[in-house]
Amino acid sequence: MSLIASNLSIKHEKSFHLNDVSFSMSKGEIYTIIGRTLAGKTTLLKTIAGLISPDSGGLTFDGHDFGGIPVWKREIAMVYQQFINYPHLTVYQNVAFPLKQRGTQKTEIHRRVIAALSQVGLEGFGDRKIQALSGGQQQRVALARSLVKEAKIVLLDEPLVNLDYKLREQLREEFRGIFDTKASEDSILIYSSTDPVEAMQLGGQILVMDEGRVIQQASAKEIYENPISTKVSQITNDPAMNLFNGRIEDGCIVLSPEIKFDLPSHFNGLPQGDFTFGLRAAAISLDDNGFPFSVELSEISGSETFLHVRHEGLKIVGLLNLVQNFSVGAKVSIRFDTKHLYAFAPDGHLKSSPYGGLK
Amino acid sequence: MSLFYSTLKYLVVTLWSMFVIAPFLWALTTSFKDFQSVTSGATYIPWVDFEPTLDGWRSLFKSPAQGGIAIVEPFFNSVMVTAAGSGISIILGTLAAYSLSRFTFRVGPIRNGDITFFFISQRIMPPVVLSIPFFIMLGKLGLLDTLFGLILVYVVLLMPIAVWIMVDFFNKVPVEIDETALIDGCNPYQAFFKVVLPNSVPGIIVAGMFCMIFGWTDFFFAFILTFTEVQLLPVAIVALNSSITPWWSLSAAALVSVAPLVVVAFIVERHLSKGNLSGALK
Amino acid sequence: MGRSINKGKRSMNFKHKYMFLLPGLLVLLAILVFPIGFTVRLSLSSWDSFYPSLDFIGFENYIRLFTDDSRFWEAFGRLSLLSLTTVFLQYIIGFSLALLVWKEIRFQRLFRVLFLIPMMTTPVIMTVVWLTVFHESLGPVNDFFSLFGMQPLWLSSEILSKFTVILVEVWQWTPFMFLLLLAGLLSLPKEPYLAASIDGAGPVRTFIYVTFPLMAPISIGAIIIRLIEASKIMDTVYVLTSGGPGTSTETSSFYIFIKGLREFQFGYSAALSITYLIIMIISFTVIAKILVKLMVRGE
Repeated sequence: MSLIASNLSIKHEKSFHLNDVSFSMSKGEIYTIIGRTLAGKTTLLKTIAGLISPDSGGLTFDGHDFGGIPVWKREIAMVYQQFINYPHLTVYQNVAFPLKQRGTQKTEIHRRVIAALSQVGLEGFGDRKIQALSGGQQQRVALARSLVKEAKIVLLDEPLVNLDYKLREQLREEFRGIFDTKASEDSILIYSSTDPVEAMQLGGQILVMDEGRVIQQASAKEIYENPISTKVSQITNDPAMNLFNGRIEDGCIVLSPEIKFDLPSHFNGLPQGDFTFGLRAAAISLDDNGFPFSVELSEISGSETFLHVRHEGLKIVGLLNLVQNFSVGAKVSIRFDTKHLYAFAPDGHLKSSPYGGLK
Repeated sequence: MSLFYSTLKYLVVTLWSMFVIAPFLWALTTSFKDFQSVTSGATYIPWVDFEPTLDGWRSLFKSPAQGGIAIVEPFFNSVMVTAAGSGISIILGTLAAYSLSRFTFRVGPIRNGDITFFFISQRIMPPVVLSIPFFIMLGKLGLLDTLFGLILVYVVLLMPIAVWIMVDFFNKVPVEIDETALIDGCNPYQAFFKVVLPNSVPGIIVAGMFCMIFGWTDFFFAFILTFTEVQLLPVAIVALNSSITPWWSLSAAALVSVAPLVVVAFIVERHLSKGNLSGALK
Repeated sequence: MGRSINKGKRSMNFKHKYMFLLPGLLVLLAILVFPIGFTVRLSLSSWDSFYPSLDFIGFENYIRLFTDDSRFWEAFGRLSLLSLTTVFLQYIIGFSLALLVWKEIRFQRLFRVLFLIPMMTTPVIMTVVWLTVFHESLGPVNDFFSLFGMQPLWLSSEILSKFTVILVEVWQWTPFMFLLLLAGLLSLPKEPYLAASIDGAGPVRTFIYVTFPLMAPISIGAIIIRLIEASKIMDTVYVLTSGGPGTSTETSSFYIFIKGLREFQFGYSAALSITYLIIMIISFTVIAKILVKLMVRGE
């Protein structure tokens, strides 16, 4: 059974916080909502929680209309990006709170709280005060509290965004573990993030949101291979996918008078005309037989180098698998790996992708 | 910090301290005087300038007929009215402040800010303006010269203070905590009482302090609305200020009336250092 | 109203909100509605001790007040003078004191508590004490001045009586300003100060460019609150000078008091009250807006 949203809309003055959002989610699955800040992710989560009522549209869960059920009667749990815990309670009391509220037996509470605490790696922390904990630990407490309820819908609103880099990576790994072992066959996990890498890592289905709309809902793989529009490709790629305008003429792709190459095979069937082409940064490489570009910026990141190059009006970012410092203005020779080229119509829709998704 | 600044600092602070203490010192020594010592010109040090007596202090327990003030009853009346008025104001005011902080009201063109403004604007009215209507109203209800009537009036005086302080305080508590309580199964009332309120104790203490200060120090309403049955401390003391003013009694009484709130001063200072007061943001 | 973390969308909108708001609001309204309504009705009548009845004379009282009553407007002028002066002084002194006990100083706790005490006292009672202090023949102040052969008339000269009132008010209420400002100072972030000291700014420059601007919103709030309270000044005047000598310390409240509870011209004093209220509400809204603009531009 599932959570079904139909045409949810929330309007505030002139803008839509949610614009005709519909989706269908099934139990036992993880769903990641990805979008830029202010895309409507938090609004959507709060609407599912019942903290905000939609102006129009409805939500049903397990066949029941959610509209008439107030927040406190829905079986949900939520973890915020700011580490939200009850400041006046200890760690143990924090995690026990929802169970106590429900009227669970004391022994049962104890069993569940201890289990939840050990799941998030906080054994023995029961007596500590919240203020004495670090950010990461506080967030784990919030997580433990959300687990202990065995809620049907678990909402996580960018839970890792306020943690430092290392902690984020560590918790991300633990996450999958936590949510796989639980009685998660029965619950729906909804996770929101702005980070495409995080979304891909979690696996599961992805809903891409922009300006209050869900612009694509598909598996992580599908979103990667066939982003439905340029918008989606921008939101779900980090580093951003290179997008540049060009034409298809006489069997060639023409980006500028000097830059032309043959049509890749998956572009057969596309008419002539103007297109927006997309190419991931990793598909750019240095090659002596390539096109001349000049360097605008080079950034070394770990064991790779981001190279920003330019040829007249055309700007490209490449992700090179080497560590090298390029000086600004240096001339380099760039090769496009056309097997991985995307074609979008001028209005942004996907026309052809290397993975065969023709939209 | 250069020596110049340092000396200047201590100098200013000391000067002001002397200014603050001066009237108390004067009252202290005057409370030990009698008719002779007062009327022969200003005198200062006991045993040196004049003969000290305990007349002033003894008169606190004598009734006016015997030339005293009998402040025991007025003292307790003041305590009652201040405590009750503050208590009710805090209860009603905190509830109202919570709603103004968390919820959105829209009755026609009137919105949250307007309602808050309404509460707070009650402070603009001088007691004089309200006293005549209150006089008539309490009269009709048979509540003149009663503790209860006065408490009602004090609630009007003090609730705005409670609302002002608590709204600001609640605004600083993240609403996400309320939301989490709701998600954890609390209805809004439970969320308030179980989660928000325990976290607001410092704010309530501060509001309580201010209510008590403004309640204890009121003169005018007590003056207008009570006569013989009920007398509050300030009224009792000022009543003495008639033709032949017994300075010694007055001074003793004044010192007694000040004492309770010195305790409040300590409590306020403690909370100040803890950083619990940052109201007054408008 | 205040820097709220919860700006923008308030996500809780339940029916329960009324239960929170209404008890307090209704009680307040109930106790207030009658007095205010009654005052308005009174202002339209000519009730006084000779003709104690609630007749209806329209706006006669108001007309009289605007055309024939210079005393009211003089009282207003005096009120403005007195309240603005005292609040101004309280601000300067209060701020200075707050700055002095803000950081490390010996006996810090003692000084802070001491500075708070005057506002905890009952104004009337302390004013009675001040009455004895400033007593023209038996008080210590004139005892001191007699050393110079002077006997200033603190309470019976037109100019000096104003001074005495101001002094007592400053003594009484500077602590309030002090409290608000000190609380504000204690809540300031540390970063700007670190930056300033790195830049080598001395105490004066730090104050002008860091402390004062940061304290702007709190200063405005404190001044407005204090102005509201100061404009009601009654107790001090009542005890110290009874508005005198003559009318030199007569403020609006006192004048209304005289007309209402001394001369029993209820109708007329009601009209005075209503007019006063309206002027005050407008003034404060305007003052608040001006102050905000001033402070914001000063940044």
